[in-house]
Amino acid sequence: MATVALTKPAKPKRGGKWSPWLFALPALVVYVAFLVYPALSSLWFSLTDWDGLSATYNFVGLDNYVKLPSDPVVATAVRNNVIWTVVTIAFPTAIGLALAVALNGKVHGKPVLRLIFYTPAVLPLVSIASIWGWLYNPQYGAINSFLRLIGLDGLAQPWLGQDSTALWAVMVPAIWLRTGFPMLLYLAALQGIPKELYEAATVDGATRWQQFWQVTMPSLRPAHYIVLALSLIDSFKVFDMIYAMTYGGPGTATQVMGTWMYANVFQYYQAGYGTAIAVVITLVAIAVGIPYVRSQTREAS
Amino acid sequence: MNTYTRRGFLGLTSAAAAGLGLSACTGGGTSTSGSGDATGAASNNLRLFTYEADETIGLLRAQVKKFDQQNGTTTSVDSLPGSGAAVYPDKLRTELLGGKGPDVWRIWGGQIGAPFAKAKQALDLGPYYSEFGWDSSINQQAIDGMTFEGFKAGVPFVSLGLGAWYNKSLFAKAGVSSPPTTYAELEAVNDKLVAVGVTPLGTGGKYGWHVMRLFEYLLEHTAGPELHDKLLTGDESWDRPEVVEAFALFKKWQDKKWMPEGALGLDPADIEPAYVQGTTAYTICGQWTEAGAILAAKKNPAGFGNFELPTDQQPARHSGFVEGYMINAKSGNADKSAALIDFLVKPETQKALQITASTVKGAEPDPKTLPLSAEWGQKYGDNPFYTIQDQAFPKKQADQYFSVQSDLLQGKTTPEAAAKKMQEIVSAWAKG
Repeated sequence: MATVALTKPAKPKRGGKWSPWLFALPALVVYVAFLVYPALSSLWFSLTDWDGLSATYNFVGLDNYVKLPSDPVVATAVRNNVIWTVVTIAFPTAIGLALAVALNGKVHGKPVLRLIFYTPAVLPLVSIASIWGWLYNPQYGAINSFLRLIGLDGLAQPWLGQDSTALWAVMVPAIWLRTGFPMLLYLAALQGIPKELYEAATVDGATRWQQFWQVTMPSLRPAHYIVLALSLIDSFKVFDMIYAMTYGGPGTATQVMGTWMYANVFQYYQAGYGTAIAVVITLVAIAVGIPYVRSQTREAS
Repeated sequence: MNTYTRRGFLGLTSAAAAGLGLSACTGGGTSTSGSGDATGAASNNLRLFTYEADETIGLLRAQVKKFDQQNGTTTSVDSLPGSGAAVYPDKLRTELLGGKGPDVWRIWGGQIGAPFAKAKQALDLGPYYSEFGWDSSINQQAIDGMTFEGFKAGVPFVSLGLGAWYNKSLFAKAGVSSPPTTYAELEAVNDKLVAVGVTPLGTGGKYGWHVMRLFEYLLEHTAGPELHDKLLTGDESWDRPEVVEAFALFKKWQDKKWMPEGALGLDPADIEPAYVQGTTAYTICGQWTEAGAILAAKKNPAGFGNFELPTDQQPARHSGFVEGYMINAKSGNADKSAALIDFLVKPETQKALQITASTVKGAEPDPKTLPLSAEWGQKYGDNPFYTIQDQAFPKKQADQYFSVQSDLLQGKTTPEAAAKKMQEIVSAWAKG
């Protein structure tokens, strides 16, 4: 039976040239109201001496920014941010990838194992902080108790109570809870790699190790991009784990830029100075993030 | 057909946003923040924000319900228990800046409550003091603790003294038959407790303020009342032998294991009640511990005791502070809020709330229900107190001070250097 293609006469567009803007308007309003406007307000307050509570303040220009380099806690916070970012990107990504590769094979109880490894990611952070706080208790905590049990008394430490170990002790649960997310992403990506590639590699005599580096890793490039970009953002905005587990202490040993910003804005009544720290965090995140995203985007395309 | 570039779209967005932002930022020099000054609309709905513990919040809600029934109001009660003065003021401040602040809030006196008065977020309660006669019904010394440069910003209902609260069975285990009456005796008690495997003082340094209670006591012991008070106001230099001695003793307490291993990382909420659980012998705290720790754990108060930490000074003093209620300066319900506070500071309400250290005349703790608090009040209630140090200093200086404590306990600084550093911190604040 023959079919007849009907061509509808073109109707004039409703709204004319404004149609795209009307469609974008709701999202645009939300974006401006809840992101752009607060960001610009913060930029303005960073140029003032506002205490964060009073109805009045004075314009002080760049004074708050000039003070930043001479603040010893800022130096500590920057160093801690760098350490935190490197460690909490490298370890969860590597462990997540290893778990994904392991779980992608023929493993008994695969769904249960996936659930176990991903569960920390959905636990409330405050609960995680409390649980690990108890584990780290120097006298009764499971970690020191285990070390004493196996005769390693000398390794038992007041993990959260001394400068030398506190930051590292907080990073362990951070790695623990952040491993599940890259594992899931890598697992999904691994399942999308055509089996023919491995079969061809096998025919060519490639070992499993060579297959991993020559087939698996290149095929995971888009997943690497997503995992690293999201991890980078997550690491830069670190606040909650530090705040809940050490409160920035002992002393100021585990302060990061996020907690130091919070302390100044919300506790020291130095909202102008605190927002200057927030602006710097944002600028650094942009400076580090944009080149990476651009390079990855270019590569992916 | 028109084409739209992403660049153009973003450019227009940015321009619109910049316009909005700049419109909020007009005016140079002294400006008005975006938080607004409008007073809320009057209604019968009130909100009370507090940090009442889980164990006692039910009592407060019951009394507030009673007030509502008598006055035709509906009052919601929100509580943020557990974090002490480290977190609660931040949340309160955020709520106030967000324009949804409570009508009435509970707050500590001294430098914790002062910023709310200074920023005029708290209402001047002078007229209500006259109307309700609070000047005569509430302890005057406590009122002074919530009066800032003549501005009566709060109504104190609690005046707490800090002492040692101890587990009698653990003292007995160590062969200690009665509380120490001199500092030397206290050290001897500590040694006996350690000898039988018991950690003497349960204290935790996570927020700084709990372990501070030990240092401020040691400073009272070494410096004496007059010098201690002058140090807190910056009228005397901290770089002096008495302060160095106090820091040296502080370190000694850790080195001799008179406080828990790794105390700096412990959460006060976990370690303070440890004397009730029997894992430490005593803690330094106020009368709230009887309802909050002993009775909450269903323990018999007879198994516990308290004593004023011996300073070997005259007059004998202990650390103390006040807590009270403030009214939101922007509340549209100031009169009803004041009526609520007046209801809460009635002696019968205070008793129903089981306030263990009420400032209200006629609301002394009942020896039948709170025997230890009553005992403390009878023995030490009339003794003068020095301002607890986290209320003597603004939060920033208090945190710097806690850092000095932390460095000292970790051996990163000496008592001499700690005293010099404290002088830098306090003098910078006092000059400011």
